[in-house]
Amino acid sequence: MIDFTLSKSQEESRDYAHQVALEEMRPISLECDRTESIPESFFWNMQRRFWAGAAGQARKQAQAEDEHQNNVFSILSQEEMAWGDAALSTAIPGPGLAAPPILSQGTPEQQMRFLGPYMDGQLHWGALALTEPGIGSDVAGMSTTAFMDGDEWVLNGHKHYITNGARSDIIVTFATIDKSLGREGIRPFVVPKGTPGFIVGRIEEKMGLRASQTAELIFEDCRIPKDNLLSGRESSKKAGFKAAMGTLDATRPMVGALAVGIARAAYETTREWVCEELPKGYAPHKRRQIEDELDELGQRIEMARFLVWRAAWLADRRISNSKEASMSKAYAGELVMKMTAAAVRITAPGENSERKQFIAKWFRDAKVFDIFEGTAQIQRLVIARRLFPELDIP
Amino acid sequence: MLNFAPTEEQEEIRSLARSLAVEQLRPQGREAEQKGDISPELVQTLSQTGLTTPFSEELGGSGAIEAMTYTLIAEELGFGDGALAMNIIGSLMGPITVLLAGNESQQQEHIPPFCDPRNGYELRGSLAFVEHTGGYTVADIGMTARKDGDRFILNGAKRDVIHGWESGTRVVLLRLENTVETEGLCAFMLPAKLDGLQISADVQKLGLIAAPSVSYSLTDVAISAACMLGEPGNKGVIRAATLYNILRAGVACGMARAAFEYAMDYAKERIAFGRPIASYQGIAFMVSEMAMKLDAARLMLWRAASSWDRIDVGIPLAGILHPRDASRSPSLDNGSDASRSPWPELVRESESAQHQAVEIAKSATIDAVQIMGGAGFMQDHPVEMWMRNAAAME
Repeated sequence: MIDFTLSKSQEESRDYAHQVALEEMRPISLECDRTESIPESFFWNMQRRFWAGAAGQARKQAQAEDEHQNNVFSILSQEEMAWGDAALSTAIPGPGLAAPPILSQGTPEQQMRFLGPYMDGQLHWGALALTEPGIGSDVAGMSTTAFMDGDEWVLNGHKHYITNGARSDIIVTFATIDKSLGREGIRPFVVPKGTPGFIVGRIEEKMGLRASQTAELIFEDCRIPKDNLLSGRESSKKAGFKAAMGTLDATRPMVGALAVGIARAAYETTREWVCEELPKGYAPHKRRQIEDELDELGQRIEMARFLVWRAAWLADRRISNSKEASMSKAYAGELVMKMTAAAVRITAPGENSERKQFIAKWFRDAKVFDIFEGTAQIQRLVIARRLFPELDIP
Repeated sequence: MLNFAPTEEQEEIRSLARSLAVEQLRPQGREAEQKGDISPELVQTLSQTGLTTPFSEELGGSGAIEAMTYTLIAEELGFGDGALAMNIIGSLMGPITVLLAGNESQQQEHIPPFCDPRNGYELRGSLAFVEHTGGYTVADIGMTARKDGDRFILNGAKRDVIHGWESGTRVVLLRLENTVETEGLCAFMLPAKLDGLQISADVQKLGLIAAPSVSYSLTDVAISAACMLGEPGNKGVIRAATLYNILRAGVACGMARAAFEYAMDYAKERIAFGRPIASYQGIAFMVSEMAMKLDAARLMLWRAASSWDRIDVGIPLAGILHPRDASRSPSLDNGSDASRSPWPELVRESESAQHQAVEIAKSATIDAVQIMGGAGFMQDHPVEMWMRNAAAME
């Protein structure tokens, strides 16, 4: 039966995330953005809030009760976190984007070996390395290579724009074992931090999400054990490509949820600004125009959220969701830019206030949501290819 | 708990409605436009399926169904032909409003005749909602009733009253003098003979020509208090108004889907520069965009319909975080707050749904004509009619 209500445990988990966003993220958000850094205490607070002690137990229990609800739980939290601070939310300790490919392509032994350490109460991160200076969504042109030498894989190549790349304990790195195979030759490898030949290059300076760490990674004869190739399903030609794409099907709704969170933050703050900071003498009919515009944007925020919810719900039911995942990401990515741009425009006449500083930050943060995990154009391409499976849309 | 799948029963009813839409409504759309009304044979066929008598068996109907189920039916009817769908739903809203707002004797008087298997299909109801001074929002309802002894004095005007000249079950939505928003809303049954009621038929309409409509003008019209449905301020009136918006939104989603699928099929067949035009990103992206926005609007609609059903059975509305009121913290906004009236929220959800659905109906039909180029402009294809129909939904 069609139902838009959340279960008790879903609500609790969302409200918990909201509390964390309000208490831990908002207070340090502007400072972290200015300095492009995050205080150590934030990481430990997050570790305590999400993994350790009673909070962690309660969350685990809630999730166990709602089996096969991982994606929905995750997007509900993501929206709240991004409402707090999207850059900080990407830096929360945990396996992060390394988890989806390990869970979908790893053997049980590999899942235990690679994800087990995340439960030890210390600070750990994980990363996913797909993008290269010359390739983005068109993974067929990947130039990072892997070849077998004795009992080891040897990786060579260059990755960039890798979130948490410099602080991660493991980096799931995509490389080709045979360039002539195109995308079918791509495999996911787990590279542990500190492996000789694994070099962290520059940390990017960005317009937005400045507190999020975006690293360049270089692999020079980087040797990793044979069984760090995810899956042992090497014989299946599509495994690597599927891992890459499967990861995107799971992460695109999460990116959409982050975008919804920022859009909502900008929406709420603009409403507050209209109530409390609208300059004296502002014409009433112009105020009504603003309110109408905000009503419309508010409706689109809700629609973006529902698209995200549906994509995550499909993923939890193991129903193919490529099209719906792309829809959610494309819609939310475009919306967050519109919303934050409207917020900048609407609040322009006022004095410089903390609200306006937040709005300016969210405006800078927003643009990348129409870019990473596949640009707006790539999402439309994914949707079109699903709508016209019989056609070759280049 | 979140769920985006209709029930099995809903799927069955939907597929029945779909086959009627494809086999009956679609082929008759153009002819109905030329004649300016639905054919009696089609109404009879529809009534035999029970789709036009969704009332309890005690009232002679084919069984009461949920708003969500009828929303799915409305989309299918709109998918067949938007104008015929509005013709059918416009008529149905008369007896439905009597059911929702009327007392038992009013229900007994008006509903069973519609369900009569011999000649019920010959009857037309109507619901006058929208006025010359506004759109499909209850806040825009300006027609007033003033108590005067045991009668009321009505003043105001209505537009786009589908079947409004038929005198059988003719309902108007209005408000007690000096009330605003959802307060003081009431519904009156206009008797066959009513001095001072001026009816003028809408001629040379842009679209929805197969759903014949009229305008009303009432100046100091005295009407017996017995013509009021139920009590003043009864929630049944809000339920009828919100349901009308929900069903209109369903029809609009169906219109959008018809245009989307028609354009998609055309784009697969039409060759330009040696390839189907759908394989060019310029066209493919337009189609992707339509699909995405349609899904977004439909989810908005489903949320409103599920809220309608929840409020119908006395469950508080969906407890989801929405950004309407920035001052309300999300932990409070979980629907369990009994002191908060759910009615304004239902009104907001249904009006948002109808607004977004009509938006996508307009943009999808306009884009479908564009994708088809010159052929879209010609009346050999139905899309130009659909484009006019969608615009006439405003």
